[in-house]
Amino acid sequence: MNFTNLQMQIEGIPKIEDVVLKPISKSYFKIITLNKFAIYAVLIGLAFLLKYVIEEKEDIQINIWYILLVVLVFCVINYTVGLLAFKKRKYAIREHDVIYSKGLIVHSMVTVPISRIQHVEESRSWLARHFGLSTLKIFTAGEAGSDLSIKGLPHLEAKQIKEIISDKINGIN
Amino acid sequence: MELTDFSQPIRQSSKGIIVIFAFNVFKFFKKFFVLFIAFGLSLIRRKSFANITPTMMLLGFIGILLLILVITILKYLNFKFHLSKDDFHLSTGIINKDTTIIPKSKIQNVYIKQNFLQQIINVVSIKIETAGDKKSEIEISALDKPTALLLKKQLFHKASANDETIDSISEPEVFFKVTPKRLLLEGLSQNHFKSFLLILTFVFGLYNEFKDFLIELELKQRIDDFIKLDEDTILSLLITNVFIILSVVLFSLLFSVVKTFIINFNLEVVEHQKTVEINKGLFNKVSLSLTPSRIQNLVIKTNRVKQYFGLHSLSVKQAMVNVKQQKNFNIVALEKVQLNYLLNKLLLNYNEDESVTAKPRPYFMLISTLEMLFFGLVINALFLFLFGKDLLWINTVLIPFASLYVYFAYKKAYYKISDQFITIGSGVVDTTTNILETHKIQGIKIKQTIFQRRRDIASVVISTASKSVKIPYISKHEALSIYNFLLFKVESQDKDWM
Repeated sequence: MNFTNLQMQIEGIPKIEDVVLKPISKSYFKIITLNKFAIYAVLIGLAFLLKYVIEEKEDIQINIWYILLVVLVFCVINYTVGLLAFKKRKYAIREHDVIYSKGLIVHSMVTVPISRIQHVEESRSWLARHFGLSTLKIFTAGEAGSDLSIKGLPHLEAKQIKEIISDKINGIN
Repeated sequence: MELTDFSQPIRQSSKGIIVIFAFNVFKFFKKFFVLFIAFGLSLIRRKSFANITPTMMLLGFIGILLLILVITILKYLNFKFHLSKDDFHLSTGIINKDTTIIPKSKIQNVYIKQNFLQQIINVVSIKIETAGDKKSEIEISALDKPTALLLKKQLFHKASANDETIDSISEPEVFFKVTPKRLLLEGLSQNHFKSFLLILTFVFGLYNEFKDFLIELELKQRIDDFIKLDEDTILSLLITNVFIILSVVLFSLLFSVVKTFIINFNLEVVEHQKTVEINKGLFNKVSLSLTPSRIQNLVIKTNRVKQYFGLHSLSVKQAMVNVKQQKNFNIVALEKVQLNYLLNKLLLNYNEDESVTAKPRPYFMLISTLEMLFFGLVINALFLFLFGKDLLWINTVLIPFASLYVYFAYKKAYYKISDQFITIGSGVVDTTTNILETHKIQGIKIKQTIFQRRRDIASVVISTASKSVKIPYISKHEALSIYNFLLFKVESQDKDWM
């Protein structure tokens, strides 16, 4: 492709490939697991409810094990994908930007230049507080999807990053 | 011309009472519309409702109108605004007094609008938009035009305080004015495909309903004949269908033409020293100004037919403008030369031919083909369900269309990246060109699905404050170098995005 022309003159510019991305805190997986298990419990409950309601009405015997098997297989696949996808959740802070990558099936990597950040927010859910984690939300201008939300950062680190970014934004202004 | 002094708190023109009154009555009726219908129906049926006679209803109705009028007058009396050196002050409220102060430097846009009623009584409304949520919009609904223009000028005064002299030298000139003929062409040459499909499904739905109705009327015999498809009925069926399709086409044509005329009536582009002003509209006259520094994306649209007539439309996406307003920043029926001139005015040093064109990988075609395949399957299932096997010949039409779709989609997809600009081309029936300045970028994303990883393909999504654009399906290596290059551009030059 013709793009190589540009490559020559931009040889020296920093490469995103060279950045070592840092995985988010391992204990965040516990939160994911808890959330997922709650959903699975609801699903299995629904399967039983469905059997009960249908048998009441239609007088047909339904083998609950088949339905349960389908639900279970779904849960196992979902959990495995969740586990593998968790390993893809990585972030990095560079001098001028914040990088966050995630996703197994659709992998994406977003970079937001710090000079474009409007404000930073650090929020903690009830569960996250128990594990000493917090979520870092980064907002840019406009509604177009360039906002970042990094979940599962260690609380202290999130605070530090927030401070660093805040300082930089204010430094520019 | 007597100049209005804005430094003292003033009210809007007394005609404003009419505008606010009409607006409030309209709002009231809209809110209680269902209730009114219910009341009316029960009145007709029983002549009275819970001991309320029609006379009492009428009295109540007049009472409500009077109440609205009183509220309107109070609102009018309490609505005062004035300008200080740096701020715009507005106080409103009958019981709860509200005072809003907007620093001039935070004002994003000032629109002048004139709806049908305002056109009759010859006033305009002025709308002040700030960055931030929708609530922070301010509308003064009745001012005479010179006052409004003066107010607008004074609101923008602070921003251009330094080059005051330059602004007063050059008179604004009307750069582009649309002729009715070109508007007609614009309306005719629009992409009718979508509206056509919409109306077609609507008509077919009606047709099906009607068929059920016929069956209910015990005309089953005739329907059976109909389905048997004798020579005669085939012909009549064909004629009916052709007739339906033709009328749908005509209808959608008419619809587009009328719509284009109403929205873009007397479209005018006025060139000022720094900004570009758009005036247009038949029932709702609007006047908007574009400030180059606030523009985030430019989208140029044309199609084969339009290209033949030299019609291009340019829509300008500004930061933090609400969706309804966004539609108004659209200039239609531009000649190529005028388009280029405007582009140069809005984007400094934009030169299309400067940079090299690159295309997505052929993988793009694979995805388009899959999309079309899916679309075809849905259509087939629908037809099978609705009409049985008889109409499966539709595939002989569908397949060439799908191939053309894939061909054109790939042919029209390209991207160009230069030091200052990103240009992305796309479209199938339309030819769409997206232009944005590199320093307006808010964030960049690289996307790759698990299937694309094996082929080493990725997409880049570039977000600005008003829109995201995508460079689809290029090689991973290239995607990364674009990513790095754009980030470098944004971060190394200390340019503001607004």
